[in-house]
Amino acid sequence: MVKDYQIKNDLNHWTKIIQRLSDQTMPPEESEQPTQEIREEMIRSVNQSIQAVICDDGISPGRPVLRRLNRTEYANTVRDLLGIHVNAAHALPDDGAGGEGFDNASETLFISPIHAEKYLDAAREALSHALLDPSPRSRLLTSAPSESITPTTAAEQILRQFLPRAFRRPVTENEIAEYSGLFAVALAQEERFEPAITLVLEAAMTSPKFLFHLESPPASEEPAKLSSYEMANRISYFLWNSMPDQTLFDLANSNQLQNDTVLAEQVRRMLNSPINNGGLRRGAKVREFAASFTEQWLGTRALGREFEPAAPYASLYDSELEGGMKYEPIFFFEDLLSDNRSILNLIDSDFSYLNNRLARHYQVAGEFREQPKRIELPAESHRGGLLGMSAVLAVSSLPHRTSPVIRGKWILETLLGTPPPPPPPNVPDLDSDSNMVTAKSLRERLEAHRDNPNCSSCHASLDPLGFGLENYDVLGRWRSEENGNLIDATGSLPDGTKFDGVEELKQVLLERKDQFVRHLTTKMLGYALGRGLTAEDRCVVDEIAQKVRQDDYKMQTLVIEIVQSVPFRYKMGSDPNASVITTASAP
Amino acid sequence: MKRNAPRHTTTQRHTAPRRCKTFSLRELGNTRTSIDRRTLLRGTGAALALPWLEVMRPSSVMSGENTTDPSTNTPVRLAALFVPNGVRQDCWTPNQEGTEFELSPSLTPLKNVKDELVVCTNLWNQASNVGDGHYVKTSGFLTCTTINKSLGIDLNCNGKSMDQVAAERSQNQTPIASLELGIDPVTTGVDTNVGYTRVYGSHIAWAGPTSPLARELNPRLVFERLFRATNPKASSASRDSLLLDRVLSDAKELHRQLGAADRQRMDEYLQSVRSIEKRLNNQQHGMQSWEPIQKLSMDAAPPEQKPDDFPEHCRLMLDMIALAFQTDSTRVCTFMFGNAVSGRNFSFLDGVSGGHHDTSHHQNEASKLDAYQKINHWHVTQYAYLLEKLQGMKEGEGSVLDHSMILYGSGLRDGNSHNPHNLPILLGGRGGGRIKTGQHLKSQNDTPLANLYAGMLQAFGCDTDRFADSTGILPGLLA
Repeated sequence: MVKDYQIKNDLNHWTKIIQRLSDQTMPPEESEQPTQEIREEMIRSVNQSIQAVICDDGISPGRPVLRRLNRTEYANTVRDLLGIHVNAAHALPDDGAGGEGFDNASETLFISPIHAEKYLDAAREALSHALLDPSPRSRLLTSAPSESITPTTAAEQILRQFLPRAFRRPVTENEIAEYSGLFAVALAQEERFEPAITLVLEAAMTSPKFLFHLESPPASEEPAKLSSYEMANRISYFLWNSMPDQTLFDLANSNQLQNDTVLAEQVRRMLNSPINNGGLRRGAKVREFAASFTEQWLGTRALGREFEPAAPYASLYDSELEGGMKYEPIFFFEDLLSDNRSILNLIDSDFSYLNNRLARHYQVAGEFREQPKRIELPAESHRGGLLGMSAVLAVSSLPHRTSPVIRGKWILETLLGTPPPPPPPNVPDLDSDSNMVTAKSLRERLEAHRDNPNCSSCHASLDPLGFGLENYDVLGRWRSEENGNLIDATGSLPDGTKFDGVEELKQVLLERKDQFVRHLTTKMLGYALGRGLTAEDRCVVDEIAQKVRQDDYKMQTLVIEIVQSVPFRYKMGSDPNASVITTASAP
Repeated sequence: MKRNAPRHTTTQRHTAPRRCKTFSLRELGNTRTSIDRRTLLRGTGAALALPWLEVMRPSSVMSGENTTDPSTNTPVRLAALFVPNGVRQDCWTPNQEGTEFELSPSLTPLKNVKDELVVCTNLWNQASNVGDGHYVKTSGFLTCTTINKSLGIDLNCNGKSMDQVAAERSQNQTPIASLELGIDPVTTGVDTNVGYTRVYGSHIAWAGPTSPLARELNPRLVFERLFRATNPKASSASRDSLLLDRVLSDAKELHRQLGAADRQRMDEYLQSVRSIEKRLNNQQHGMQSWEPIQKLSMDAAPPEQKPDDFPEHCRLMLDMIALAFQTDSTRVCTFMFGNAVSGRNFSFLDGVSGGHHDTSHHQNEASKLDAYQKINHWHVTQYAYLLEKLQGMKEGEGSVLDHSMILYGSGLRDGNSHNPHNLPILLGGRGGGRIKTGQHLKSQNDTPLANLYAGMLQAFGCDTDRFADSTGILPGLLA
């Protein structure tokens, strides 16, 4: 086998070799092929060596952030900046996802010619809302011309309040002068104070200083710590999907956001979402994180978008059910964050969040309303953990029937971070295989399918996992039979592990909990950084996952460790290879 | 019926012989129309902001500019309509070649516009014959290039889409350079299964290698843009110029502070702002006003909310294309009926139960093939609707359709095998008399799709006979 020192000498080369092996373009088609097992073992062992070599060298952080606000961040930022409660982003184009699969990834936040026009419209609409509403109005127009205050002075006073919040950092005297200058010209043209100051505020909200996350490039070759204001912004957009509040600004101003203890305290404060005696949670800003993160990690954003059930399920699917389904994983995740529960609740739990319609759907008795409420799950509820949530079960189904293949793929990809490769090209169709013609049930058809060695290497892992969930229909309702046949929810994995039904499947996953935690850490770090992870970031993932493991898998530990990590706190200098040598923990 | 023999399928039939069907609208369960509802709209105009985007057309445009038909001085328009997931191939290609051909079962909705149609056979997109089954074939559909395999970093289509080559030509002649329209939001997430971000499957228009163009999904917002463009008012122009000056100064200041590698994003924003400013400048400096060919009436405004009903949503978007072309607000448009791998539920059609993508993996099962063809037939019906609508819009001696080229197609042929050989491609409209319509144009096997695009671009008025990997202009296309 390959020695680490060989890899160290030719890292790029080995990385390419592994890529080629993984996407099956090497060895070339005409030469002898290794078995899938040998191929995977080779990939695993070389990857391990590559990772060891990389992690030894310390961590090089990513480039300073330069990207526009995404649609959600824009809406929340305008809401908090102006104190209005309309979705200011409703007419903005939607964003795609990149990197680890999130729509805050800088690499896919493009700007089209249409954007400036849309931003100007949105700013205008939001400001007109704010100025018509007494409370936001008084917050914005903090000064007014009078006998003792000239219009210019009043405008300057307003701008001294507004610009640092809009740009989310202290502004320079020069910037105050530039915007005051714009006011003077606007006043001459518009003749009245309010239209003139409105124009200036619109300009600020169309400026890239408002629309972009901007971190200043360090002057040094070496990586540098983020400034306190940059930290305030990173934490705030990570945990709230919005601009920093006054507390964060104050801490940034007194330069306290470099301190580990302060950071941990702030994370706990920001994750807190109060819950009342009735089990209801209302409107904490952490919901924005819970929603954006879980919907994209789990793929449940597809509800009401890409996912749309067909007959016989379509008639059951109304907006209240969709809402209940959509919000269950979000409220659940918010609970783990706010109450610092174990991450392993995601695999299995004894509680969930149901609204009235979803409770009926699950046949759980009790008093429910339209708003999801926390409940202890009764015994034999068949719920608990992500795999009992109908949102997850629906987005991993076809519109008209369940698909063990898709559900198996969902588990491998979403929970364990090991997506199967795509089907090899030129696979014969299922029905050209003579065994397929006689096979009746889906299980028989898929088993016949696995007789084909081209298919078996992946489907032997995919299909059994999915069959473990067959007791749930397309919309996640429990069923013990389908079309008069009893559901067979047994599965047997390639390593010999056998299970029957979802409860045993959850035990199988709990045995792989460290792989699950590592994958969740990867996802959350990618979300926190707003970019795809590099090989060096993966060293950090391993360290964080280990700390989480040592702290009983506590959710807040995961978040705090991410916020205190090198990639989160540092930005690259002019030398992209310079690293921060601190493998143990951030200073 | 003679079956077209595809070159790259290994499938055998095990099911009873399948018959391609023609369907009546009633059979398809698609009797709803949106037109009546639209004319009864509430609150027309009340919600519109004052027009601020006002545009001038340079006076030079009036005589012999490149994208007008010189004989009639009428503009030529170009649109591309993308359908995901391919077609049922044995029901697609007409049996006869040339001008004496009969519409195949899936093309029967085009019977009223058959004389305005070119059915293209044997075109392929070689550059998209790699990578994966869908993403490469969607982002590469109008670029004829191979896109980078990427989850985000190094995302690159390595080219420019043909509609944007056209838009570059016509951008100074209309208020809006091009319209990018769609139905589905950008599909969430990245596809770790094949290693592509789903951004690729959600875009066909690329202004440059790293610039996919954002699409408008709400017909009402499209209408509002058109309305502003066709109802210029001078009142707000100076106000906007003032504001944009400040924004541009800020962008330039940041641009100076950034390293070379980081400047691109700020460049994109600068360009986005400048494009507004350029139009305002034109207006303020007293050039002859751009005049819409037809005035746009607020009566035609779609509902404010994006419709939930998919067929109605599609119809409204097609209406917007027709209005944009009729008013000459723009001459270039792309539209996606769905994103790549779309699982759109077509159960509003009788006999269709699964999602679109799943159905397209028909595995030669008779019931799935039937359902697949019904979906194809429905899409072609929508295309026919647009062509007929444009044909009904009189312009000079002819119609808007006479001065348009409306491309329709998918980036793969058969959804079961995902190959980009013999793509299902239709072209409607005479392109100002430059396109030889009323024919089934059967080319040699594996003729580059780019050859068709090169021909369309030339007919549009671009001074070129090349596009991407073209080897010449498609023989038999131009009149």
